Amino acid sequence: MHTSNSIQLINVTCPACGLLCDDVLVENKNNKIKVSKNGCAKSITFFEQKLGEITPKIAGKPATLVHAVAQAARILKQAKRPLFAGLSTDVTGFRALFNLAQKTNTTLQHMNATGTQRNLAVLQSTGWQTTTLTEVKNRADVIVCIGTDVVTNNPRFFERIVWLKNNKKSNSMFTDANAREVIYIGEKLNTKAGISPSGRNPSLLACRTSDLPEVTAVLRALVLGKPVKSDKVAGIKTEEIQAVADKLKTAKYAVLAWVAKDLDYPHAELTIQNITETVAILNQTTRAGGLPLGGSDGDTTANYANTWLSGLALNDKQVEHDAILWVNSFSPEKLPANNHLPLIVLGDANTKFKTEPEVFIPIATPGLDYSGTLFRVDSSVVLPLKKCRENKLPTLSEVVSQIEAQLK
Amino acid sequence: MITLLKNGKMYDPAHNKNGVVEDIYIRDGCIIAKPSQTEKIAQTFNLTGKVVMAGAIDMHSHIGGGKVNIARMMLPEFQETKGYSEPEAHICTPNCSHNATPSTTDAGFRYIEMGYTAAFEPAILPINARQAHLEMGDTPMIDKGGYAMLGNDDYFLRLLSQKADQKAINDYVAWTLAATQAIGIKVVNPGGISAFKFNQRRLDLDENNSHYQVTPREILKSLSTAVHQLGIAKPLHVHCNNLGAAGNFETTLNTMGASDGIPMHLTHIQFHSYGTEGDKKFSSAAAQISEALNKNKHITADVGQILFGQTVTASGDTMMQHLNAKHASPKKSVIMDVECDAGCGVVPFKYKDKNYVNALQWAIGLEIFLSVEDPWRIFLTTDHPNGAPFTSYPHLIRLLMDKGFRNEAFAKLNLDAQAMSNLTSLNREYSLYEIAVMTRAGAAKLIGLNDRGHLGVGAAADITIYTDQPDREAMFAKPDYVFKDGELVVKDGKVVKVVWGATHTTKPTFDKGVEKDLSEYFEKYHTIQLDNFKISDDEMIEDGRGKLVNHKGKARAN
Repeated sequence: MHTSNSIQLINVTCPACGLLCDDVLVENKNNKIKVSKNGCAKSITFFEQKLGEITPKIAGKPATLVHAVAQAARILKQAKRPLFAGLSTDVTGFRALFNLAQKTNTTLQHMNATGTQRNLAVLQSTGWQTTTLTEVKNRADVIVCIGTDVVTNNPRFFERIVWLKNNKKSNSMFTDANAREVIYIGEKLNTKAGISPSGRNPSLLACRTSDLPEVTAVLRALVLGKPVKSDKVAGIKTEEIQAVADKLKTAKYAVLAWVAKDLDYPHAELTIQNITETVAILNQTTRAGGLPLGGSDGDTTANYANTWLSGLALNDKQVEHDAILWVNSFSPEKLPANNHLPLIVLGDANTKFKTEPEVFIPIATPGLDYSGTLFRVDSSVVLPLKKCRENKLPTLSEVVSQIEAQLK
Repeated sequence: MITLLKNGKMYDPAHNKNGVVEDIYIRDGCIIAKPSQTEKIAQTFNLTGKVVMAGAIDMHSHIGGGKVNIARMMLPEFQETKGYSEPEAHICTPNCSHNATPSTTDAGFRYIEMGYTAAFEPAILPINARQAHLEMGDTPMIDKGGYAMLGNDDYFLRLLSQKADQKAINDYVAWTLAATQAIGIKVVNPGGISAFKFNQRRLDLDENNSHYQVTPREILKSLSTAVHQLGIAKPLHVHCNNLGAAGNFETTLNTMGASDGIPMHLTHIQFHSYGTEGDKKFSSAAAQISEALNKNKHITADVGQILFGQTVTASGDTMMQHLNAKHASPKKSVIMDVECDAGCGVVPFKYKDKNYVNALQWAIGLEIFLSVEDPWRIFLTTDHPNGAPFTSYPHLIRLLMDKGFRNEAFAKLNLDAQAMSNLTSLNREYSLYEIAVMTRAGAAKLIGLNDRGHLGVGAAADITIYTDQPDREAMFAKPDYVFKDGELVVKDGKVVKVVWGATHTTKPTFDKGVEKDLSEYFEKYHTIQLDNFKISDDEMIEDGRGKLVNHKGKARAN
């Protein structure tokens, strides 16, 4: 932390997407944050958000923290089967929620459960062979983005991992980064980030999202060496898919990336499985890795922590419930479904409700209002988050432990 | 407040006590000398006839970190049996699959209920160390610690291939220990995890990693020397090349010579003791391995015993786990390349007593246990969960202590496997004293835990008390009392108080200049900053639940 007059420069880790870029510089001037280096649209939105309302509310009316906590505890006590949803927080916050859930017969469900479940279904069915960002940066010679442009979810993926400066500051150990082949498969993709520094365009197999199951199945078959009789698949010439298959087979280290959230159609897990099984076939003769990207709102963190704490991953099963505790530390615009059940929100201070919940307790945001810990989307890397500004918001674990104390 | 444990039979090999009846006094978490008459004894436990040992220490058990958590995530079916109620519950055994992927709470509880007061995670990927410590931080009841994996990370391989001097290697090793809050250094398939990323499929001890042009032998020499010179108590923890492959015993024998006499620990040696004799080209080389272990005094080993049932194998050895994935049961697996640091391979496995290879693996482990003469140099592990869940230790102890029980089990094995094993000709039965060496005194000495694993004055009062029973499995499964740091935490095999234990580390000094080059390397090639790689003491003890115990080593001359 460098101080000059009243401006502090802080090197922070950005929790706004699953990449957790830790090279972001922000300045704090009179407790207002401005991203000064290595920002992206998401990180600017995150860090530069104004400090919101810090007063808790009961049914829309200002209340003390003590009263709001008491009311939240009352609701949880009356409920037979509460649901803790949203779950957007860091490790410490999740641990606190998990403990409270143990004491209240509660089901836990993350706001990104639907997308996460697509990946989990594959992991629990066949498993997979994956890689991580530093491996991609140093080894990948062919990168295929399937059903996603990545940058909509992870804006700095190409800047930080793919197109490197080839200098002392940014380079690849085992391959010429700027000679990498980038291939997209899908529709409505922003392929601009895939243009190499020397101006080479990426290739695109254009198909509708709903055709991805078929296109990935054919790619898998061709990589396996199975003949495909038709000349066209979902409007793409089979020979074009064959060309991609050949590139993958001759690559030294092919990376097949997807974002589960973007594969938003029924049984998308089968598309993901086509991708991961293509990787497994490639790994019989050469090297390749799957790369599940995306991630937001602490989804990887909640899922991993729940897994070691309970022995099981979080899931998206719909369960009967009679009250909801919605936890949302990072994205004020994400609101719980309005279903007329008693609702407690422990959320970002900037949250604006259409219908005021029974209880709203604004909480501190990890990585902005207090230090924390978060898992990166590729799951092997866990990074500390830093505090960048001062305020009086309580942390999630503080609020949860106060609620828990009332339940005794 | 003083607690008196009266008239117990002491099995305390660190002080050569083999069943002598004595009293133990505890104050402030430690064992103290007999206090003066004027001091008040707050509580007394009459232990007449009871067996008293220090708390057991598992020196190799995968209890935390990426691999284990992926195993939990991939195998929800393992947890189904946990929820069984009667009548199904009665068939739940210590090697039920839910014990293969326990939650952190379950892991801590099951360990302490068996009288284990510490367990060490043997394969912390440095880049993933924060996760490992988060999980171990959520593991109650026991002390923890871990070994950081080196030898397949590109930073080290670059140093070695550039012929960096030993001091540079030592600084990097010491820096890694501090950054990852570990107590030892491990190498898994030296050079092989890296080689697999360059599409090499096997790597022998004297074969080059195709990119770096360095051999596993050079890696072992370099790392074992660093560990030795830095004065790290725990010898380099070595998972040899060629894990699980028929004929791998020669690699294992040659590996013993790779450090030129500098101490090394060969882990889960059962998986590295296979010959190629017989019709099935898979045989026991336990005799050769045991003979070499008896002869090579600088080598220690843990067994990695397999026991029959469903479990999951989790290893950093992607090269060999990728080969093993075709044997997965249930049929799924995860193979990961991780961060130019190491790898991760998770393959579920079901060991069957009617399967020739599995039956022989079982016998090979026991042959090694019974043929290695010095219990101070061989350790009781199942490489949890790779050979079996750690909850099967009481069963394993009975196999070692009870020849009749062992031979009965042997008689049920695959007949071809029986024909290929000399197990029934091994008449040895481990004594309580030898079990205490293997699971307490020896393990503490190996890791360098000076105040654990024994019952002398000044020791931490981690103490386990058993009823002496002929059925050693029943005896070791359910101690009468377990004390953790002087507090009674288990009574009649059940937890009566929840405590959190400490994390043991060692932090040899190093030239801080090592960070200059590392910092440039991280900026250029990695995807996080060096400062975020390092785990601070504050992170380890956050929320007041975690404790850190740093063990000082003593640097040794070159």
